[in-house]
This record gives sequence, C-alpha cells and structure tokens, in this order.
Amino acid sequence: MRKISRREFIKYAGLGVAALSLLGSVGRGGPVFSQGTVGALPKLRRAKETRSICAYCGCGCGLIVYSEDNRVVYVEGDPDHPINEGSMCPKGIALSDANTIVNWQHRRQLNPRRITKVLYRAPGSTCWEEKDWDWALKEIAKRIKATRDATFEEKDEKGVTVNRTQAIAHLGSASLDNEENYLIHKFLRSLGVINIDHHARL
Amino acid sequence: MPKAVLVDLTKCIGCRSCMVACKQWNDLPAERQGFVNDWATPRDTTAETWTVVKYYIEDKGGRVVWRFVKRQCMHCVDPACVKACFAGALRKTPEGPVIQDPSRCIACLYCFNACPFQVPRYRTGGEGPVIMQKCRFCFDPGGIYDRVGQGQAPACVRACPGGALKFGEREALIKEAKERIAQNPGRYVNQVYGESEFGGTSWLYLSDVPFEELGFPSAARPAMLSLLTWTPLAAGLWLAAKEA
Amino acid sequence: MTNHFIDYKNSDVVMVIGANPAENHPQAMKWILRGKAERGTKLIVVDPRFTKTAAHADIYAPIRPGTDIAFLLGIINYALEHNLYFHDYVVNYTNASFLVDPNFKFEDGLFSGATTKDGQFVYDPTTWQYQKDKDGKIKRDPTLQDPNCVFQVLKRFVSRYDIKTVCRVTGTPEDVYRQVCELYCSTGRPDKAGNIVYAMGITQHTYGSQNVRAVAILQLLLGNIGIAGGGINAQRGESNVQGSTDMAMLYHLLPGYLSCPDATRHPTLKDYLEKETPKTSFWSNTPKFLISQLKAWFGAKATPENEFCYQWLPKLDGKEHSHMAIFQSMAEGKIKGFFAWGQNPAVGGPAAEPTRKAMEKLDWLVVVDLFETETAAFWRRPGADPRKIKTEVFFLPAAFSYEKEGTVSNSGRWIQYRWKAVDPPGDAKSDLWIVDRLFKAVREEYRKGGRFPEPILNMVWDYDAPGSEEPDINKVALEINGYEVDTGKPLPGFAKLTNTGSTACGCWIYAGYWYPDPDLGVVAAKRRDRTDKTGLGLYPKWSFAWPANRRIVYNRCSCDPSGRPWDPARALVYWDGSKWVTFDVPDFGAKDLATGAEIPPEKSAQNPFIMVPEGVGRLFGAQYGPRAAALKDGPLPEHYEPIESPVRNLMSKQQNNPLAKIYQGEGAARGKPEKYPYILTTHRLVEHYQSGAVTRNSPWLTELMPEMFVGISPRLAAKLGIKPGDRVVVLTARGKVYGRASVLPTLQPLKVDGKEVEVVALPWHWGYQGMAPGDSANVVTALFGDPNTFIPEYKALLCDVRKA
Repeated sequence: MRKISRREFIKYAGLGVAALSLLGSVGRGGPVFSQGTVGALPKLRRAKETRSICAYCGCGCGLIVYSEDNRVVYVEGDPDHPINEGSMCPKGIALSDANTIVNWQHRRQLNPRRITKVLYRAPGSTCWEEKDWDWALKEIAKRIKATRDATFEEKDEKGVTVNRTQAIAHLGSASLDNEENYLIHKFLRSLGVINIDHHARL
Repeated sequence: MPKAVLVDLTKCIGCRSCMVACKQWNDLPAERQGFVNDWATPRDTTAETWTVVKYYIEDKGGRVVWRFVKRQCMHCVDPACVKACFAGALRKTPEGPVIQDPSRCIACLYCFNACPFQVPRYRTGGEGPVIMQKCRFCFDPGGIYDRVGQGQAPACVRACPGGALKFGEREALIKEAKERIAQNPGRYVNQVYGESEFGGTSWLYLSDVPFEELGFPSAARPAMLSLLTWTPLAAGLWLAAKEA
Repeated sequence: MTNHFIDYKNSDVVMVIGANPAENHPQAMKWILRGKAERGTKLIVVDPRFTKTAAHADIYAPIRPGTDIAFLLGIINYALEHNLYFHDYVVNYTNASFLVDPNFKFEDGLFSGATTKDGQFVYDPTTWQYQKDKDGKIKRDPTLQDPNCVFQVLKRFVSRYDIKTVCRVTGTPEDVYRQVCELYCSTGRPDKAGNIVYAMGITQHTYGSQNVRAVAILQLLLGNIGIAGGGINAQRGESNVQGSTDMAMLYHLLPGYLSCPDATRHPTLKDYLEKETPKTSFWSNTPKFLISQLKAWFGAKATPENEFCYQWLPKLDGKEHSHMAIFQSMAEGKIKGFFAWGQNPAVGGPAAEPTRKAMEKLDWLVVVDLFETETAAFWRRPGADPRKIKTEVFFLPAAFSYEKEGTVSNSGRWIQYRWKAVDPPGDAKSDLWIVDRLFKAVREEYRKGGRFPEPILNMVWDYDAPGSEEPDINKVALEINGYEVDTGKPLPGFAKLTNTGSTACGCWIYAGYWYPDPDLGVVAAKRRDRTDKTGLGLYPKWSFAWPANRRIVYNRCSCDPSGRPWDPARALVYWDGSKWVTFDVPDFGAKDLATGAEIPPEKSAQNPFIMVPEGVGRLFGAQYGPRAAALKDGPLPEHYEPIESPVRNLMSKQQNNPLAKIYQGEGAARGKPEKYPYILTTHRLVEHYQSGAVTRNSPWLTELMPEMFVGISPRLAAKLGIKPGDRVVVLTARGKVYGRASVLPTLQPLKVDGKEVEVVALPWHWGYQGMAPGDSANVVTALFGDPNTFIPEYKALLCDVRKA
C-alpha cells in the first residue's frame, strides 16, 4: 500500500475543516490506495494517479486515470475495486478519449471535438458565436426570468397556491454526479419548474 | 522462463476491451472503418491495430454458436519471421515475446510471408519509412511501452473482464490448460492450440469449437513460398517510402 | 437492484430476460461467468435475439418482443401446478394468505372496475382490496385454501398460461420453454438461489410496469427475494441513473422518492403529510423526511408557523410531465425555455423527428454538454433551414467525469466517490460550477424584483469555497447527507431525522453517506476497505450503499420466521438465540433504537418488507396504503399485445393494455401489420453509450463500431433479396431510417401461433453529429407509453424493410 501524505489524505478524505475536527484522531485503517500496479512503469513514471468511477453503464467500475500536465495520458481499471478487479470493458477503457486522443504521430492531444468555449446561436443565425461565461450566465438568467415571470401561476383555478411555471422544461442527466443533480433539482424547484425529467424515463 | 498467455475462448464475451486496451497502452490511433456484417470491425490487424477479435457465428442446425476469437502475434517458440528477416529487425527474446526494432526494418515483407498466421503489418501512411508493426506482447526492453519486462501482464490481459486471458509462464499455462480440459469433460476440444502447432507458440488457446472452424491454421504451410514474388514489391515499397 | 453485481456469483440459476449483460454490462457478465466457473451457476437467456449473453447460456429461449408477461406467468403457473414454490416463504413473507374482496373479478382481459372518466378508460380499484375484519385487520387464511385468498386468486389467474398457450403467444419452442420452467423453478427451495436480471427489454413496453410485477411475483413465489444470489436486478444503463433518480430528476418526485406536492391532493403541508404518510411501514416517517428537506432548502426561513415554507415548492397540476408529455407541450408552444443538460433527446427520445421539430417552437434552449450533440445542433440538422428557426441556443461546455469530483450511485446503490484527475479543457466547467453560477445569476436578476421571488431569494445556497473557483463539494454533500441544524454536525443516518425542524437533510435515503467512518477516517462514500468476511462479496466498508449501507435489501427474508437462515452458506443475518448476528445491515427492526435491546425474530417476521404497508411481499398488487397503491392497469399482470403487433391477442379479446398511453401527432401514428409486417425492436452495443453523444466522439470506439446497421434474419434477407452490407431502409408509420443490412443467424423467425414472424433489430446509437454520423433508430419509434411510468414502447413495434 502506498503511503499518502496528510495533504493528499485530506483531499481523499474530502472532509471540510469542521468535519475533520469531528474525527479527532484519525482512525486505524485509512483508505486503500495501493499504487496502481502499472503506475511505476516507464510510460507512467511521471503521471499522477487518480481514482475514479466509470462514466458509462451502471456497473460502477473503478478506474485509475493517469495524467500529466493536466491532460489524461492513460486509463486502466482499478485493481483494488471489488466489482471490476482491474478489468474494464471497451467503453470504460476508452474513457481517456473524452479528454485526449492518440493522433497519427502516436501522441496524445486534446480531443479536438470537445467544445471548450461557450457558444451562442442567435435566432435565425446559421452559425455559432463564441461567448464568455459572464455574458452567457447573465443572458440565460434574463431569459429564465422573462419566461418565468410571463407565465408564473401563483394560484390555480381553484385558488390553491401552486407557485409554478409550466413554460420552462428541463431534461437532466444520469451522467451527472449526485451533488450536481441535487443542486439542479433545488435550482429548478426554486424557479417553480415542474417539467423535469431525464434518462430514467427512457 | 518464457512467458505466455492462455486464451480460454469459452470465457470470452466478445466485448473487445482487449483491442482498446492495446491501443490505449501502445498509443495507437484509431483508423477509419466501415460496416462489417458480423460487427467485428476492424476485420484484421494493421500496423495501428495489433489485436482484433474475430467473430465466429454459425447456425448449427437451429442451434446458434457465437464465439469470439482474439487474434494477435502468436509469439512462436521458433519464429519463422525472425529467420526470414535478413535486416535483423525481429528477434525472439528469452522471455518469450518476438519483438521488432522498427529502425532496422526495410519493409521487405519477408516476415509477413514467412509467418504462418500472417501477422506482420506495415505502416505506410504518415511520415517516415514504411515499417513493420505487430503486437510485441507489451515487451519493450528499455522502452516506454514495457509491461512484461517489468513483471506486469500485457494491457489486453489486464483489461479482460471475462477472465478469458491469463498471463503466466508458458510451461505452467500448458499444464493448467490440460487440467482445465481434464477437469471439465465435454467442455473443451482436446487440444491446447499452440502447445506444438508450428513449433509451439506463446499464445495458447482453449476452445469448445474445433480450431479449424475458428480459422486457426492446422498445419504448417510451406514458408518462404513466394519469396521471389514478394521481393520486387518490397523493394518498391521501400524506395517509395524513402522518396516520400 | 435488490442485490448488487458481485452477488451474481452466489446464484444457482440466473435468468436474464430483457437484458444483455455481455454487451451492455460486461462486468455483470463477468460475475455470472464467475458463478458458472465456481459454483456451476446455470444461465438462462430469454431474448428475441441470440445475443453475446446467449452465447454463454445453458438455455437460450427465443421470445417474441413484448410477450414477457406470458412467458413469466407460464413459469409461475408451472411452479404452482408442480408445487415447486417455496411454501414457507410464501405463507410467511408474501400476501398469499390475504383474502381479496370477493367482488374482484377478471373477465375478457379486463379487471373488475373498468369504467370511463372524461372519455378515457380507467379502472376504479375499489374491488382490488383485501377483506378486513371488524377491527380493520386484513383477513387471512394461512392454509391458502380459501378461494378468495391471494394464492388461489393468483393460481386461477395464471392457470390460463399453460405451456402450450404460452408458446403460441411467445413463439418459444415448447421443449425449450419446458426446460426453462424446470430449471428456473428448481430455485424454489431454501438452499437454492435464483436471480432475475433485467434491463430495458422488460420496461420499455406499454405494460412495462406489469412486466416487472410478473418478475416480482415469480421471485416471491420461489423465495428468491432478500437472499444472497437472488433478487430482482434491474441493470441500469448510466453511471448515475440510480443517483439522478434518487435526486429526483423527475417531475413527480422530490429527492428521496418523496412525492412532489400536487395542487389537488396536497394544498397544505398538513394535507401532504396526511395523504403521504401511511400508518405502517417505514414511510410512516415521511414527515421527518420532508420537513428535514424543507429545512435543508429554506434554512432559518422554514418554521413550523409557515409550514416550513412548504408553499414555496411548486405544485403539480394533476397531469403528467414526463419526457413524451414535455415534448408534446413543446410542440404545442407551451414550453418556451428548455434545458437539455447532459441529455440528447434528439437521438435518445422516441419519435426523434417530432422531438427535433418541437425544439423549433422554443424561445431559448440551453444545452450543457461535452460535444456538439444532435440536440445542440438541431437547428442545422439535415433538412432544416436555420434561418427559419428562431430558437436562441446557448451551449455551455461541461466537464467530463474525471475533470471534476463528486459521487455516483451504481445499480447496486453503491454511492462511490470520483476524484478529480485533470481540469476541464478551455472554458469547460463542472456542472456543479455551472448550476451554482446560473442560480446566482438568476438570483441577481430577482434582487431587482420579479414575480414571487421568495424561493429564489431565500433558497439555502451557500457552497462557496474560499480561494476556489469551484463550489465546495463537501458543503453540498453534507446538506444531502443531513446535519443537526444547531451544530451543523453530520447525521449518521436517517434514524436521527426529526419532524420538528431540528435536522436538515436534502435526501433522506443518502443519510450516512457523508458521515465519517470512525475506523477508516473518511466519509462513508469514500471508503475503500476490501474486507469481505462472508466471502459473499458484500464489501460492507467499500463506499456506502443506500439505504443505511444495506447491500441486499429485504434481507430479513433470508431467514425463516425464527431467524434461522434458509441457507446457512448464504446467511446475511441470523438470530443466534439471544441476538441478531448481522453480516449485512438488517432491513428490519433488529434492535430497539431507544434502548438498544434486541428485537426477537418473531416480530420482524411479521413485516419483512418494511417499505410496504402490508409488511409482506405483494403477489397481488392491492389498492392498499397511500404510497403503495395498485398499478393503474391492474393488480396482476395480464398479457396484452404491443400497440403494434402482427397477431391478435390469444389470451383475451382485449388486444392492447386498455390504459396504454398513446400521445398525439405524427410520432404516435400506428402501423398495421398488413403494411408493416415485421416486428421492430431496438438494442444497444458494447462499443457505444446511449445516444452516442460521447462515444461517437471517441475515435477508438467509433473505429470499433462505425456505422448504423439493420439486423435481419438470413431467411428474411433471402426472401427480400438483401445481401449482407446492402443499404436498406426500415419504414414504420412514423418515418424511415437507412442502414447497412447485417444478416446473421442470431436473428431467426419465430413461430407464433403457427405463423412465422420476423424480427428486425436496430441499434439506436447514431445521429447526424459526431465522427461517424448515421440515422437514428428513434426516428421510427413511437409515442406509446406505459400508463404508470410513461416509458416509451421502444422494444416492440412494426416495420417494413426494403433494399434502398
């Protein structure tokens, strides 16, 4: 088992300062992070190892993402993981492709198909325009407010308080993290959105 | 002790993660492919695709049999390709793998011609000379792609979810293969392919379908059959590459 | 999933019906193969196609798409006729002995209570109830002889499903079907475990919920629920579809499976709690769950005096707002703004072309994704004129799974942590960052005024991490987990929740996932301890399985009423004479929470299914209890034909599920067998993921599976003069798609009631974007839905095929 530094431990333990103090002295065991069995190989000697869970089907396989200079250089199954025991299916082992791909010079480069800028397509326009986040967030917020305020129902026809808008819809994602979905749900309900659905229905 | 991989075809689920794992470890790019009737795209190995899984789908009188057959360099015990390579670009290592030194390859295609499994492939696109490429058993002494030399299983073996691939010492795997046959009567055909075929190979196979039906050559074909035919072509390719 | 993937290795028989793990869940297939190698597990595969999973089957049973109920009821009938059911389990742990209203009837394919409301067929479920004595207790006959007891009702009901009849419906050869019945029913013994694995092949029908009910009934009869190696294991298709469902990315729910308030039923908090809280079952704690959620959302503003801000939640209007309904409303111009956030409905939803057209009616569309999906590019899709499409489109670039951190929940309910490996490229951001900034931007707008700004201005939203761009994941997770309002300390589990406002908890079923493990020093979701004392693969200290870190739910059923394990080799919990010995977290009252005293087994034997008001498994889905009402289409599953079927229903004169939800417009057009003679089904491939939004931008995966194709049998190919690789067109009443012909013996015609029926199979991963564009199978699927879940009938439609 690889020893991990206190800083790393805090990162992996994922505890806020308040929760850390709650732990008091840290317990006997500690997380299992045996060094990825291939981490010491020449190809990966410089790489950082990060434990992750596959982004595809619902099996929940563990994987190790190897990265250098903030780019993924290699992905392999996590040998510690009890479900996949280090093996992966073809989709899982190809996960690196979402970040970097291997080009014809046999080198990794950012997947050129990734969208790395905020894009905007105006009504009737035939193309995308690149925008920045501040502009986009503000403009979307204005659209949300305009639509919500124009269609908001405080009470229904029977006089029951309903506080909703039916003019905004959201299809969410089974690919997002729990914490993200939770905040999106809160966000939508705060607006009064009731048209909410996602992959689970399909 | 020479290393080997035992492929138990009764355990393969045809997911082809071995193919992606190979590309992932060896930094091999994807090639453009088209439709293949039985879904087994790409059909064959290339200089950028060192392993493929071939599908065998047969309707045996109403009973369908579907088997998945991983193919790659067999890493022969006594490799004909090494003998055929007069440039000295191929060598058989004591560890088992047959590995290539692309810098010495002159693309004469003799190795391809000599190989009973028609494994060697030639990188013709892109920059640089035409060179032979194939599976090197994740053995790259002194290079960055080495796994086996560092005591690790090849990338494809590590990735396999079905447990169809097992890495180990050749002698021990042959013994294990025979035990599997003995302990599971009726499950396998009574043959460990690669134990003695073509002088023995480092990739060994167990199957419940006869090997001939799965496209494995059953007898040594005469090597160096068309040496003369190939030589001018090889020389031409070599020149073309040099000019490019 | 009641169990989890590793547990497949503990099964004696695995029946895969409507799933294809070798293709879609390869690691699940690994555990099936592990069982085969280590304990001789037998594998039954029931599928219209001979799949990669079938390639490993001991028995492969072909089945006509859409006839699973007939197939499963036939096995149930076989078990009952041959006394192969698990008697002691059935008597004690199911409602077999409960007496049903003598007025309950089933005639001519319809249950009693058939009526119409607003011109629509509905059931009045009054007769789908139990008989009660004068004290209101349910009447029972433990001898199972009373003609009105559930056991006898079920027995009579399924008696029509004899082997001959079933095979005429399903097209399964009789000898094969008989083998399936014999083998699967062999698990109806204490020392045997049978596991049913399903996926979308079971659910995507106009009677998908009833398909699941049929699975449940069979598993209960054979005593396969709550035991290691058993269970009903729905393999979920996305890395976090379990978690996104838990977090209620669904119109009708709040996080933790709490009902979303409804204007008619729940005008006030009092109404909500009265209507939603049953007297028995664990749901009797509903007030604690909802009030703690309101505290998490509205903080100090939520007080007993103001209904804990209950009125700030939106209320439903009694109509459904599911995927198909949303696009129907969009097509009608009722929806002006739309978020497609990590979903690609232009490929993944049914009737894809009307879906794409509906988006032209929007004022604005926000797409949050990694790549330019078909949904993002709908305005410049083939055949569309962008100049005529007035929809404004914002594309927000998101981070991939390893470019951010957070938890995902797998099918086995394990909530696992993903650490961040790299920053997202360029301006791409995590979805957590995006929603955080978007909410703040909206709140900023409402600071200037606007309609009913209170929930926006007062929603608890305090996730900033000093010195970091990213919101603090710990703060979000702690809120989901729950904490004491006064101290902010995390809660160890949902047992600590109150209905007074002293606790806050965003999603009660996740309580405990962010609580530090005292031995390991990490929050439960980050645990990576590989201890597995039983060898059953429970791994109790690897991550956290909701609820309460329970790995196999309903595990009280793994022992007899006196607490002895049915099978000592597979014991999960047992009573040693004075206390419970627990290898898994008990799914029953094992200890008194207040005193810590052991609760003897006789008590928990009364209600081993703690989530239903009866406390026992439901062979008959009675109308009983507020949260566990009967399915809309009946208390028992009955075979109906798919909306589009090549044959008449042999079981009754009722051709289709009378409650099937048929939507409006061109996407709901019905084809007749005269014009569309072949069955059309859809499926997935191991190389691609769902609508292909990510995998069709992966060079390696596109290389492995580059092109859309159409699967047809060699016999049909010969008849139509189609050769492998020919370009063919598939036509339905909704439209047409092109693809290459894949002619393989894995598809064979089925003999249905003496008539040969062909099945055409389409993978649905392609669209007009990505590295390898191709036609979307969903262009030809239909807006037909299940009346309970509104899931589309993707799996059984009609089509014609021609050489293009």
